[in-house]
Amino acid sequence: MKDVKRKGRPWMRTVLTHAALVGLGCFFLLPFYWLVSTSVKPDADIFKVPPVWIPSPPHWENYPKAVEYIPFLRYTFNTLRICMVNVTGIVLSCSLVAYSLAKIKWKGRDVVFYSLIATMLLPSQVTMLPSFIIFKWLGWIGTILPLTVPAYFGTAFSIFLLRQFLMTIPNELSDAARIDGCNELQIYWRIVMPLAKPALATISLFAFVGSWNDFIGPLLYLNDDRNYTLSLGLQSFMSQHGAEWGMLMAASTLMALPIIVLFSWLKRPSFGALRQPAARSRPATTG
Amino acid sequence: MKRLTLWIGLIAIAGCGRVHTEGPVEVVYWTGWSGDEFKIQKQLVEKFNSTHPHIRVRIVCQFGNAGYEKVRIAIAGNATPDVMSTVWADELAGYAKRGVLLPLDELMARSGRSLEKEFTPGLRKSLRIDGKVYALAVTTNTSFIVYNKQIFRELGLDPDRPPRTVEELDRASDASVSMRKDGAIQRFGYVPNNLLTWVYVFGGRWYDPKADRVTANDPRNVAALKWMADYYRRFDSQAVRRFQSTFGNDATAQMPFFQGLISMWATGEWASAFLKRYAPDIEYGYFPLPIPKGGNPETTYCNGSVFVIPKASRHVREAWEFLNWLTSPEQVAYFCSKIGNVPPLLEVGDDPAFLSDPIMRFAVRLTRSEKAVGPPPIAIWPTYTREIARAEEAVLAGRRDPKVVLDNLQARMEKEYRRSKAELGQ
Amino acid sequence: MIGRTASERAYSRNGVLFALPWLIGFSAFFAYPILASLYFSFCNFDGVRPPQWIGLGNYRELFLEDDLFFKSLGNTLFMVAFGVPTSICFGLGIALLLNQKVKGMAIYRTVYYLPSITPVVATSILWLWLLNPQAGLINLALQHLGVANPPGWLTDPAWAKPGLILMGVWGAGGGMVIYLAALQNVPAALYEAAALDGAGMVSQFRNVTLPMITPVILFNLIMGLIGSFQYFTEAYVMTHGGPEDATLFYSLHLFNKAFFDFRMGYASAMAWVLFLVTLACAVAVFKSSIKWVYYGGDLR
Repeated sequence: MKDVKRKGRPWMRTVLTHAALVGLGCFFLLPFYWLVSTSVKPDADIFKVPPVWIPSPPHWENYPKAVEYIPFLRYTFNTLRICMVNVTGIVLSCSLVAYSLAKIKWKGRDVVFYSLIATMLLPSQVTMLPSFIIFKWLGWIGTILPLTVPAYFGTAFSIFLLRQFLMTIPNELSDAARIDGCNELQIYWRIVMPLAKPALATISLFAFVGSWNDFIGPLLYLNDDRNYTLSLGLQSFMSQHGAEWGMLMAASTLMALPIIVLFSWLKRPSFGALRQPAARSRPATTG
Repeated sequence: MKRLTLWIGLIAIAGCGRVHTEGPVEVVYWTGWSGDEFKIQKQLVEKFNSTHPHIRVRIVCQFGNAGYEKVRIAIAGNATPDVMSTVWADELAGYAKRGVLLPLDELMARSGRSLEKEFTPGLRKSLRIDGKVYALAVTTNTSFIVYNKQIFRELGLDPDRPPRTVEELDRASDASVSMRKDGAIQRFGYVPNNLLTWVYVFGGRWYDPKADRVTANDPRNVAALKWMADYYRRFDSQAVRRFQSTFGNDATAQMPFFQGLISMWATGEWASAFLKRYAPDIEYGYFPLPIPKGGNPETTYCNGSVFVIPKASRHVREAWEFLNWLTSPEQVAYFCSKIGNVPPLLEVGDDPAFLSDPIMRFAVRLTRSEKAVGPPPIAIWPTYTREIARAEEAVLAGRRDPKVVLDNLQARMEKEYRRSKAELGQ
Repeated sequence: MIGRTASERAYSRNGVLFALPWLIGFSAFFAYPILASLYFSFCNFDGVRPPQWIGLGNYRELFLEDDLFFKSLGNTLFMVAFGVPTSICFGLGIALLLNQKVKGMAIYRTVYYLPSITPVVATSILWLWLLNPQAGLINLALQHLGVANPPGWLTDPAWAKPGLILMGVWGAGGGMVIYLAALQNVPAALYEAAALDGAGMVSQFRNVTLPMITPVILFNLIMGLIGSFQYFTEAYVMTHGGPEDATLFYSLHLFNKAFFDFRMGYASAMAWVLFLVTLACAVAVFKSSIKWVYYGGDLR
């Protein structure tokens, strides 16, 4: 039979997959590996050619030095604060708007969707100034409000992504619920959102990373170094005629760690919603 | 539900957090210095605050290059500090002519300060725009060449008689060049750059104040560019380019001069600190930019951050009190000696802190040269410097003809300058 | 049809209600900047003093007198043409590799995602060094493989953009995350049904996997397009537009005009031209998407 032949040698597939993953993986690991290894090199070795791959002995003191050189803990707290507030806002607002664009058939839906896309087409260099003026008028310059409040009204990126995901969820469930008399809010909260958990995890991740690494926003709107974020703090390692490379790399490594932790947590296999209910409602032959 | 309440609670707490202080007048001071230099500035600010209890200066770091862009937006959005040093000398004319800065003449007169009497020649020329003083400085810089005496000796050149003319520079540089078997360059002499300054050395200039016109294609400018281009013509320009690309960052132990890969290094007064840190074993010397026949000896171009008071400053009197203090000899001496910059005040140059270091002493001497120049007082200068860099690259790397490129530059800048003058109503 | 049924009105009301956050946010935070920048594009505006109306002056200068306009646009189109397919292929390819039940998947996923989150300020040095023509890893590897005259990468006008595209491959992790989420959403039952029908690996990919993830491919395509048209940071931090304007991208040219040359009005005109070009491409993509994007929500 045909299937037997095609299912021929599963182990070969595994070996090839592993080979590709490891090979490409080394390539992809390079930047981070270099970052970490540079952070433990003595100053003289950092730009050496040929490069020093495994510094020995590793100079771990760049880490405590970096944490002391700038108010690292305070900046971390500030950045975390902004990120958490942002992620919450984005998940709440974007899920609502994406639901409207994906799951409710109403007249203005396409206009809103396409104008949403259109807002991303204008480069930020020219909208920076008018945006600044809006926030000045609101009296928010010097606070973290310009960095956090807009998240509660949705971002085009997250709405677009979530809308794409929601549109792959079959409508039979929500239609059935409507017939049963549920209102939209219930359908949104109890039926659609649980099915969209992987998508929500994805936009949370991107929202967090975006906020965490954001430089222009904090630079433009914060004027008190008690409020500064880590991305601004990284700049402190650079001065007019050079930089503290070792400490900069150490600080950058530390900055990347929370994202790695968050990534692993959000992407754990058990986090996805099981699609069994929807699958069962499908006809058996669709392929 | 519980989690939702928790979140809302956290967000509410997160949203708050602003502290107000009453009492002394708060002066907001933006600086572009970061890292160690910022820390020294902070020390000075604290000293000021403790000795002037009726004023409280709050220093805010606006990091590096990005800070200078933020200033544009802050000015346009009317959110400026009371005093700031996040303005390059290059940009000063642009801001001053647009009327966003406060002229300092009256304030200076009342405090008994004088630009002409106290500051170095380069700054005297660049801080006064349309007859008024718009900025002061606590640092200035110089350009000169540091050379490796050991390599000179190796090559049979007199290590105590560095080049004084460009012909001597050429000879020394060419002698230093050695190639690898595969045609790549192993060691070089002087890698030409900084057309902007060389033009002045050759006796040319970028702007003629008397005729009020840009002079990009002045024949002496062309001569300077041609001289630079000849370096690349004598050797394969791609090879020189590749060699240059290995230079990486100045502030590292791998900088070619520290490794003995170039025999001459175009630099400034910060060389002293770098040499001590990265290459304490090199026997070095230094000399001012060599001149061609009829050139200007001991020319140096002064750039750097300048201190301004925006027109929209809320506390002008207090801001000036701070600025006056910060630019007084004692403070300037402290700051410059700590960060390795050369002082802009004539009086401070005689301070033993600077006389003890030979390179510093030399740099101070250069700043006092009457041939020192600063940015010309035209609003389009930042654009102009960028175009000069592009022209330089087009000739050196792109092997275009110097005269053609500079004629081109002249045409473009003339147009820009005309447009800028029309726009500013001048 | 006269008027609307009660349910249509209810849908309208609900639709607007749910979309309210965006509608309010748009009016509050986007409307003014968009309109303001449009207005500025018709003005002489230095970003500091009040703008003065000059009609089409900026646009005329842009098209007729600015030689860097076409150069920068060309550079950007290069990135769009080559950068977008590259990143989609790599992102999708890696996601497919990672979608199998192979041991250590979690670690691989993190490894592939890492480069896209490491701060540019730190890794730009790494990339400058990797692409270094004389001593960089890439050229050393090429020389080992027998290439006699490896490219000058960021020092050579002809190779600078390919170098940047090569760098861009590392950023595929972001797209990979999205593809992974979509791949995991494909119901296992579909694969089983297909296998029962006799479909092999390739056929399953073409008939089950690919259609099911087309919504997300559309997303990455549009976002990739927008991102490439606005490509800026790497060129600004690493090459400053050189060598010889090879990496002077449209956004960088715009930035220079806005922040160095005190010509915010001109920069706004540039921004709106870019808007129209990107809009044209986006419209084309969306129009074509009707043919190839399958939204599982509606029955085929």
